[in-house]
Amino acid sequence: MGEPVAAVTLPRRLRGGRWLRPLGLGLWGAVLLQSGISGRLDLLLRAVFHPLVWISGVVLVVVAVLELVAGGGAAPTPRQRRVLLVGVVVAIAVLLVPPRPSFADLAANRGRELLDEPGLNFVVPPGQRSLTEWVRLLRSQPDPKLHAGDPVRISGFVLHVPGDRPQLARLLVRCCLVDATPVGLPVLWLPGRPLPQADQWLELRGVMDTERFDGQTRSVIRAQSVRVIPRPARPLEP
Amino acid sequence: MSPERLATAWALFQALLIEAMPFLLIGVTISTLARWLSPGGKWVRRLPSHPVLGPLTGAALGFALPACECGNVPVARQLLATGAPLATALGFLFAAPVLNPIVVASTWAAFPNQPWLLVARPVGAVLIALVLATLLARLPETELLQPALLEERRLVLPLSRVSLLERRSGVIGADPLAAQALAAAPRRTPRPPLAEILGHGSREFIELASLLVFGCVIAALVQTLVPRPWLLAVGGAPTLSILALMLLSLVVSVCSSVDAFLALGFAAQVTPGALLAFLLLGPVIDIKLVGLFGVLLRPRAILITGVSAVLVVLVIGQWVNLWRL
Repeated sequence: MGEPVAAVTLPRRLRGGRWLRPLGLGLWGAVLLQSGISGRLDLLLRAVFHPLVWISGVVLVVVAVLELVAGGGAAPTPRQRRVLLVGVVVAIAVLLVPPRPSFADLAANRGRELLDEPGLNFVVPPGQRSLTEWVRLLRSQPDPKLHAGDPVRISGFVLHVPGDRPQLARLLVRCCLVDATPVGLPVLWLPGRPLPQADQWLELRGVMDTERFDGQTRSVIRAQSVRVIPRPARPLEP
Repeated sequence: MSPERLATAWALFQALLIEAMPFLLIGVTISTLARWLSPGGKWVRRLPSHPVLGPLTGAALGFALPACECGNVPVARQLLATGAPLATALGFLFAAPVLNPIVVASTWAAFPNQPWLLVARPVGAVLIALVLATLLARLPETELLQPALLEERRLVLPLSRVSLLERRSGVIGADPLAAQALAAAPRRTPRPPLAEILGHGSREFIELASLLVFGCVIAALVQTLVPRPWLLAVGGAPTLSILALMLLSLVVSVCSSVDAFLALGFAAQVTPGALLAFLLLGPVIDIKLVGLFGVLLRPRAILITGVSAVLVVLVIGQWVNLWRL
């Protein structure tokens, strides 16, 4: 016979399910802070909102500690306890299961309207333009022949477009992943090589060219070298 | 559902939740402060009772006491209990959840490229408040306000407006001891201690966060599961899209300080009128508010509020579609 285990007794102010509230608050604070520490924010939100998330995380953790130390009040009703428990479970799930979105899947279910961003930069040499800058430039100067022969060095994920050749694409966001809008450029992939898989991140070097598609002349990238890269830490572009 | 789609839905859910949570925290902090400041005193009774000026003043009070609709209900109750004119209190109740800096900031954060929405949302909210305040003011106070609130209110209204018999409690009441206590009680309740305020704020945050979780789940699933052609078919139809998004706002019941982020998920697929309808109806009436309104209004008044708000928002949405499509 072993020694009887002493029952853990909570302070009075935490009995009757009162501990659930500080736990919930602390977990939500931890979710926000961990999103910043683990780099999730770069995947989910536009950078301008990151400080707000950090500050809110700190505030929630502080309030949770204050509730633990000085809390009290009425014990939660059974319904409130259920709500609190659901919140706790969801917060733990968010903490433990990181987001791994399929950009190609997300892009396939979105419109292709380009954000009206005035930030065109004509000074950047062609070889240093990002994919998004190329797309904006080509939409503002619709004559594809103007850029034929320009060197291209871009990175993005592979987006399969029904009825067209696979594109190299990026997601643009105004706010967060929810409003992500895909922008992409068609690519003449290396001959004799299998087409890349959807969602694969690639760095591509080549030259800008033109082709006839759907009765119109359009710009297309003629790939010269293709390299598989890991998803960048900040995959979303403003 | 394929694993990729499930993973995408999970990421969208997290993005929505993490984006919205700081705004929810700001909203709850301000509504808690508003509760602590507890508006009362004679100035409240001097607010305008004019059928147009009253609701406009109430709506403008949203900038002074910027709470979302959940924090707004106890503040509106406090206004009514301390004798504020009906028109002003109802204007505050219905318009202030939209006409406040937090909601304007979150709407701008979600839709920086749609300046028309930043104007149309507050203007629409004021219009709804004017219509609802006008309609509800036609009901006698006994049919409009909850009995407990009505008794509190009659205690502070001047005898020129409320007779001693109508007061029921107070000087003339059923229970002489309670009447003495009420008569002796100070008109302004003392400010609650900070620990109580902290407890109230954290309770409110946790409850609203669970609603936010529910709303984010629905928004993320709709975005990933409903095929884009379906969304476009419903979202592209002028009237159907408005009705669909109004139904969604009633069900989702998410706070006005974060609803713009949920709307963001549908913005590309729905008509502008439907988008505005989602942002206008939720702060006035939804499933969660029906419960909260129980501390203020009688069931008939809640029904009138719900039906009228739906009709007004439908008309505004249609008009916006005619203008923007």
